[in-house]
Amino acid sequence: MTPEIRQLLDAMGSEGYVADAAIATAVFLAEDLGKPLLVEGEAGVGKTEIGKVWARVRATELIRLQCYEGLDVATALYEWNYPRQMLRVRMAEQEGQTADEMEKTVFDRSYLLERPLLRALTRTQGPAVLLIDEIDRADEGFEAFLLELLSDFQVTIPELGPIRAQHVPHVVLTSNCTREIGDALRRRCLYLYIDHPSLDKEVRILRARVPGAGERLAHEIARFVQALRRQDLVRSPGVAESIDWAQALVRLHRDHLDLEAVEATLGCLVKDRRDLAALERDQLARLLEGAKAS
Amino acid sequence: MNDLVVHLARFASDLRAAGMRVAIGDEVDALEALLRVDISDRAEVRWALGCALKIRRQDADAFDALFAQKWLGRGGDPKTPAQPPSATHGPGRAGRALAFLSAATASVEPAAQEAETGQPGSSREALFRKKPFDRCDQRDLLAMEPLLFRLAQKLATRRSRRLKPTRGPGRTDLRRSLRRCLATGGELVMLARRARPIETPKLVFLCDTSGSMEMHTRFLLAFARALLRVAKGTEVFAFNTELTRITAHLAAGEQEQALARLARAVPDWSGGTRIGECLAAFASRHLRELVDGRTVVIVLSDGLDRGDPELLAGALRHIQARARRLIWLNPLLSDPRYEPTARGMAAALAFVDRLAPAHDLASLERLISDLTV
Repeated sequence: MTPEIRQLLDAMGSEGYVADAAIATAVFLAEDLGKPLLVEGEAGVGKTEIGKVWARVRATELIRLQCYEGLDVATALYEWNYPRQMLRVRMAEQEGQTADEMEKTVFDRSYLLERPLLRALTRTQGPAVLLIDEIDRADEGFEAFLLELLSDFQVTIPELGPIRAQHVPHVVLTSNCTREIGDALRRRCLYLYIDHPSLDKEVRILRARVPGAGERLAHEIARFVQALRRQDLVRSPGVAESIDWAQALVRLHRDHLDLEAVEATLGCLVKDRRDLAALERDQLARLLEGAKAS
Repeated sequence: MNDLVVHLARFASDLRAAGMRVAIGDEVDALEALLRVDISDRAEVRWALGCALKIRRQDADAFDALFAQKWLGRGGDPKTPAQPPSATHGPGRAGRALAFLSAATASVEPAAQEAETGQPGSSREALFRKKPFDRCDQRDLLAMEPLLFRLAQKLATRRSRRLKPTRGPGRTDLRRSLRRCLATGGELVMLARRARPIETPKLVFLCDTSGSMEMHTRFLLAFARALLRVAKGTEVFAFNTELTRITAHLAAGEQEQALARLARAVPDWSGGTRIGECLAAFASRHLRELVDGRTVVIVLSDGLDRGDPELLAGALRHIQARARRLIWLNPLLSDPRYEPTARGMAAALAFVDRLAPAHDLASLERLISDLTV
């Protein structure tokens, strides 16, 4: 294994993120090649967490942009501070400034409100980690805009001219695959698909994230959740859910699973009414037995 | 180094042959990635290649297999099975088309029918909403036309979430207002506004006209015709053993004439089906030009196919990757005993965003909200 990848793997581990070789390789390459990393996977497998832990490992700022339908440049990139501009225009009038002078004063950097994307470009102390979360929720128009930004790391504000990134940020884009990301954007990135973790990895994640959970509880939870994912559920529980569940069980002072505790806390794990209705008591008992047997 | 380039290029062409979309830019990324990782660590090379070549989840298994077989001198040429030309012919094309034609023209005047039934529109509508298409006759179809049209109009009521500059009423757009007021010396003469424009989706229909679908085809085509009038970019294709673009035939004139024109224009009307071949033909000939991220593709078929399920799955995968959504309407779904186990249908399921019934008006009504997403 390349030493840098090993280092990254260890550093992520000590920040509480149990990565595997695939994830560490992808992050290393994204950083080294200076390309954005597109991370896809089911909900709750730790996609967003990659951005957070990357920022912690590199001891830099995490700048996050949550996407939604209708997200536009004013919310994502920049906006002028209109009330201040208005006041300034009034003052300029009294001072008898010409239109040219007025324009120069009003469209100055100090009247610019930086939104996440611009902040990631203008940061002066080293590269930030820019997390563009759930890009599949934004519409295609925004995707096209991102494409331009992510290839040149430069934006043009009509009144100010081009602004170029002082340090090219590390970019993570996450997608829950609710919509196919356009080919052009995909090509511009490196790509990582995160699956639900293996049993062994899930135990390690639980042990790292819920220190209160003992060896036995962590194993039983992981086996139970893994078996549950093989059931035909509308919403399969992700790692985020198993961590929640482990925390709930630890809070209830359990050191192992029993049917009563499972039933009482199932809402941490199964978050769909239809799934809750479909999971009957004897099925839970069977899953529980499987989790304890091995 | 040179060997590595050659090897990578060969490997990429193997991936392409297996149906993965690997562009030249991806190969450049892969080469750069390979120069940065430990080439002797096979697992690391696999992750690096997967990451740089953008191998998606659904291709991961095929990629792993090829990687095991081909990367750095393992294995030989894979045996590509030759595609046997499978020709299926329905019973006498001309005869079936004629039967369809006579059904389509043996119609009554809508006005006469209105007088005959003597029912006001709304209760007739209620009556029709749950009437299965395969129990409707030509008169029903004519009566349904305005209902279908009204249904289609619901399509064009969704407003975009994005604000666009407008001259009419809307939210104040301070950025543009302020720009304007600079021209008038800082005096706000007129406010600029933005509003949410109405968004009509682009639709592409792929309609199965084979014998097994005959009862439903007329109604679904009438539905497509109604949508065609509302959503301007809509395209309609018919397929059975061949793919035919029928948008122009559907567009103009009276419904029965349109359907009659169709029966003449489509070869092998009411014949057998080769869904896989037809959808693959669509994917290779029309996908790029007609389907983009705003397009909803709707396949109307019962999935009873005698062709190669692999071919169908491959075509659907390409269509799904490009379209906003891929919806499969299957009239058989209304039967609670039906399981999508027909070979074609089973292969299709993995690549379809939504599988919905289409056997009566109520089911089409439910579909509308899916089309506008």
